[in-house]
Parts: sequence; C-alpha cells; structure tokens
Amino acid sequence: MEKIDKKTADAYYREKNKYIIIFLSIWFVVSFGVVLFADWLQFEMPLLGFPFHYWMGAQGSILTFIVLLFISAKVSDRIDQKYGIDEGENEKISYGKTADH
Amino acid sequence: MGNEQFFVSLTFILLTFGLYIGIAIYNKAKQTSDFYVASRGVPPVFNGMAIGADWMSAASFIGMAGTVMLLGYDGLAYIMGWTGGYLLLTFLLAPQLRKYGRYTVPEFIGDRYGSHTARVIAAVCTIIISFTYSIGQLSGSGVVIGRLLEVDAAVGTLIGVVLIAFYAAFGGMKGITWTQVAQYLVLIIAYLVPVIFMSLQLTSNPVPWISYGEIVTRLGEIDADLGLSQYFAPFDEGSRWQFMALMFTLMAGTAGLPHVIVRFYTVSTMKAARWSGAWALLFIGLLYLSAPAYAAFSRFVLMTNVVGQPIDDLPAWTETWINTGLLQIADSNGDGTLQWSELMINADIVVMATPEIANLGVFVIGLMAAGAMAAALSTAGGLMISISSSFAHDIYYRVLRPHASDRNRLAVGRITIVAATVLAGVIALNPPGVITQIVAWAFGLAAGTFFPALLLGVWWKRANGPGVIAGMLTGLAVTLTYIFAAQAGFQIAGINDTGAGVFGAASAIIAIVVVSLLTKAPSQKIQEEVIDLRYPEQMTYKDGDVWINK
Repeated sequence: MEKIDKKTADAYYREKNKYIIIFLSIWFVVSFGVVLFADWLQFEMPLLGFPFHYWMGAQGSILTFIVLLFISAKVSDRIDQKYGIDEGENEKISYGKTADH
Repeated sequence: MGNEQFFVSLTFILLTFGLYIGIAIYNKAKQTSDFYVASRGVPPVFNGMAIGADWMSAASFIGMAGTVMLLGYDGLAYIMGWTGGYLLLTFLLAPQLRKYGRYTVPEFIGDRYGSHTARVIAAVCTIIISFTYSIGQLSGSGVVIGRLLEVDAAVGTLIGVVLIAFYAAFGGMKGITWTQVAQYLVLIIAYLVPVIFMSLQLTSNPVPWISYGEIVTRLGEIDADLGLSQYFAPFDEGSRWQFMALMFTLMAGTAGLPHVIVRFYTVSTMKAARWSGAWALLFIGLLYLSAPAYAAFSRFVLMTNVVGQPIDDLPAWTETWINTGLLQIADSNGDGTLQWSELMINADIVVMATPEIANLGVFVIGLMAAGAMAAALSTAGGLMISISSSFAHDIYYRVLRPHASDRNRLAVGRITIVAATVLAGVIALNPPGVITQIVAWAFGLAAGTFFPALLLGVWWKRANGPGVIAGMLTGLAVTLTYIFAAQAGFQIAGINDTGAGVFGAASAIIAIVVVSLLTKAPSQKIQEEVIDLRYPEQMTYKDGDVWINK
C-alpha cells in the first residue's frame, strides 16, 4: 500500500465526474430536450424520409445512447491508465468479493 | 394449415428449450470443479448478451411494437425510456455497486445504511416490483401459448405458469449466464427475421431501419385521408408531460431494477461493469431500433390490406386471433366494410400476428413463438430468482432464521418461486392492463423506491438509515397512490398511471434528504466506505487518505 497525494486523488475523482456530467447532459438533450420541443422539430429528415422528431425518438436518441456508453467506457479506461491503475490488480482485489448467482 | 403451424411452432419451442437445458447442464458440470473461475470467465460482450436476455421481456418482445403502433409518436416514450436508463445505471450506479460487492440489492441497502429495517423494506419492495413485472411476463406467455394452441389467452396463461414455475425453480438457480446468451440469440433472430422480410416485401429494401422512414410518411398521408390524426403527430395520445414523465419513470426504473443490477455483480471489476453496460445497450438497441419499424410495417399492412375490406371476406389469420379473445371486429355502422375504428386490436398481439398478416409462412411464425417464449422465460426466470433471494436470503436467512441450513434456505427459495408464479398467474388470467402498461407500473415502483435509495446511497455519504427508510416508504406510497388515483381519473398535468414514477422518485429523494439531515449522520466507517466507491478497486479510502495497492 502506498499513500496517494490528496490532490491526485481528488483530481482523479473530478476528472471522472466531469465526463459523467458531459455525457449525461447530452443524454438529457437528445431525450428530454427533443421531446420538450417536438412540436417545433417536425421538419423532414434528408434522405431517410422521417419527420425529425420521430426519427430522434425511434433511432437518433438510441444511437446516441449507445455511442455515449462506449465512449465513456473508453474514456474511463484512459483516465485509469493515466493514474496508473492496473486492471489485473483490480481483478485480483475484487476476486471472490461477490458470490455468483 | 392450422395443424402444420402448430407442429412447426411446437418443434421450434421444444428445440430451443432443449438447447437452453443442454447449456445449463453442460455448464453446471464444469462449475462443480471450478465454480468461481468458470463464472468469472464471462467476458463483458457475453455478459452484455445475458443482460439483454434478462432485460428484454415479453414487454419488449411482444408488447412494445404493438404499443408504438397504436400510440404512434407517443409510444416512442417506451423506446427512449427503456434504453436511456442504461446511461443512469452504467454511469451512476453499476460500477460503484460492483465495488461494494454484495449479493443482492436489499443487502447493499441494509449494509450501506446500516439498518435491518431498511433491508427488510428493500426486500419487500423487490418482491412487489418483481411480482408486478412477472404478471406482465405470464400474460405475455399466455398470448403466445393461446395462439399456438388456438385457445383463450387465459388458458394459455395457466400453461405458462406451469412452464415458468418449473423452469425457474429447477433450472434457474445457478450458472444461467450462458443459457441467457443463447436466449438472447434466439430472441433477436426471431425478431429481426420477420421485420427484414416485411421490409423487403413492402419497400424492396432489406434494411428496415432505413426503409421504414418512407412508410412512416405514407402512414401520415393515409391517416390524413381517413381524417385521423397523423401517425407521427406528437402528443396526440397524451400530454407532453405524460410523455416525459413516462420516459423518466422507465429510465429511473431501469437504473433501480433489482434483477438487472444483480447481473452487474457477476462481472469481475468496475471496468468490466462499464463495458458490460455498453455491450448490453448495443444488443438491446438492435431490438429497440427495430420495434418502431415493426410497428410502422404492421400498421401499414393493416391500413392497406385489412381496413376497407368487406367484413365477410377478411383474411384467414383474423379468425385464429379472434379465438384468443384479443382481436375484435365489429361492423358498428353496418355498412359491411371494416373501418379502422371498428378494429379492436390488443397491443399485445401485433408482433405475434404480423408474420401471419404479412403471409411470412409457418417457419417464421414458429420462430417468433420460440423467440417470444425465450423473452418471457428468461426475464421471468431472473425475476423469480430476485423474489426468492429477497425472501429466502434477505428476510428468512438474514432476519428471521440466521441459523437456517443451506438446504433449508434452498427449499424456502423454491417454494417461494412456485407460490409467486402461481399467484402472479392468477392475476395474469385477467390482466389489469396490456403488458407494457403492467410492466411500466413495476418500473414506476422501482423508480420511486430503489433509484433514490441507490443514487443517494452511492453519491451522498450523509444519507442515513432513517432517511432511506422514510424515502423508500414515501416513494412506495406515493407511486402506488398515484397509479390507483390516475386509473380512477385523477391526474396532474395530464400524467397518467404509467408516469407515476416521477412523483414517487421526487418525493423519495426529498424524504431521504430531509430525514437524513434531521437525524444523526452515518458512522465514520460507513461514510468512508461511501467515499471509497469513488475510486477503482486498486485505490482504497481510509482515515482521510487514499491508498493505492501496488
């Protein structure tokens, strides 16, 4: 065990949270935001033939959600790497910490 | 035709069931020698599929497309709500709950808040939520079996009860991950095949996600000609606030659903939990992106091939569905021609009936039946295990009889499963709503109880036992009251019973914050444990400092 500087630990937490806040803001805009203004977003989508508000509900928002989850997983991995976290070590530590169902 | 269809469907169902049982037996044999490693070896991609099968229930498979077809744009609240919740779950809860490392959600709440009372309330909430949810599953299997045997859906439900009770009590106790991977594959293939064929038939384009845009636009034109409001017109079937309340309820409910959270406990680390969430939504998205296409195609076929036809000369498929009691045709204006308003179509038959409506042949219909049963069974299995572990583990073992033997607890768990399935089946005989609506109530209850308790439990170290007890009870009471009141006609801002979770969650969060601040802060140890959840496994928070394990 090695003590980490308080500043470094706080920076880790802040950096992780910054991205969560960014991603959840996008999540909020493509779902609640688009629905709130659906009446004004009924223009036709080029090529696809959908009204925009309908396309966002049926496809656009879901695709955004999926992409956000993958980007976030990737970004989290990067941050962990930056702070010298080793996934192999994590696995050893959490091994056996929960039982299987 | 009827007999041939019956045998083909039955063969598909039996073959897929044989596959699930075979996988379960194969994995069990391996696990006795190396129990932990075998199940820890589930990579996030496959765990994502397993979460997908656990998650996609009869409501997603059988009910959702029908609901979208009947509600038009307003039905999309289900699509966005049920997918968007995964962001709340994966960003805010799953990795942290994984690090805390407990068996069940009630166990997390009991230990995090240091309260046996909170543990018991959480266990009771788990039972109520999972029970409500399973009514929807049994009602769904009733639709499939009813169609297959050409009997009333209620008789189909009874047969479903026997199947699910047997399956969950004997098959589902351990190592079900790989079985669920197979169930995911069966259900997604079964869902995609008809929608791709319909896309080819109607638009000569095999990619439904691209081709159905023009169908949506044409549906709008047909509706305008018939003097109906257009299919894609927003807030035609409910207010804007109802749409957003329902969407929030389904999102928050997703993040608080005990049987889904448990799946994140079976991965190895916080990192694996994040990747599992991403893969899960990708696999789930495949079905959710297709449901609105399914809805548009079926509505289009109904509008162009069935509506406007002479009542005496309707296609043969209508008769088999009229027999199940879920399709009604009445010539109310007596002109001998079927109008859209004279067609009473239950949302739950749309997906199952569409391959017949589009004449896709006996094999596709058989495949659909197998897929629908996979969806209902895999979710019902997960729900029943949640109910039995809440009762047998959290209430019976942790509170009532701490010295109970393993065998004794297992027996209590099995009896719980059978009793809960039978009871849910009795209610499902005469379902209090369509599948998506019943399931939305379960999500409302999860949004009003677990979502606030877990969210504040992970992110606010000051939240304490009395606070969470007050919060869960308030959320439960408010959500239940609103569901009943809205059904009786009382509504706030046009929000009806399916959007009740928004009031439940808001009141529960206020109750937790207020009561926690008025009472004593949690112990130093618990507060440190909460801060510790901010960091990966390798870092530990102790006595005001963060330590790294190298």
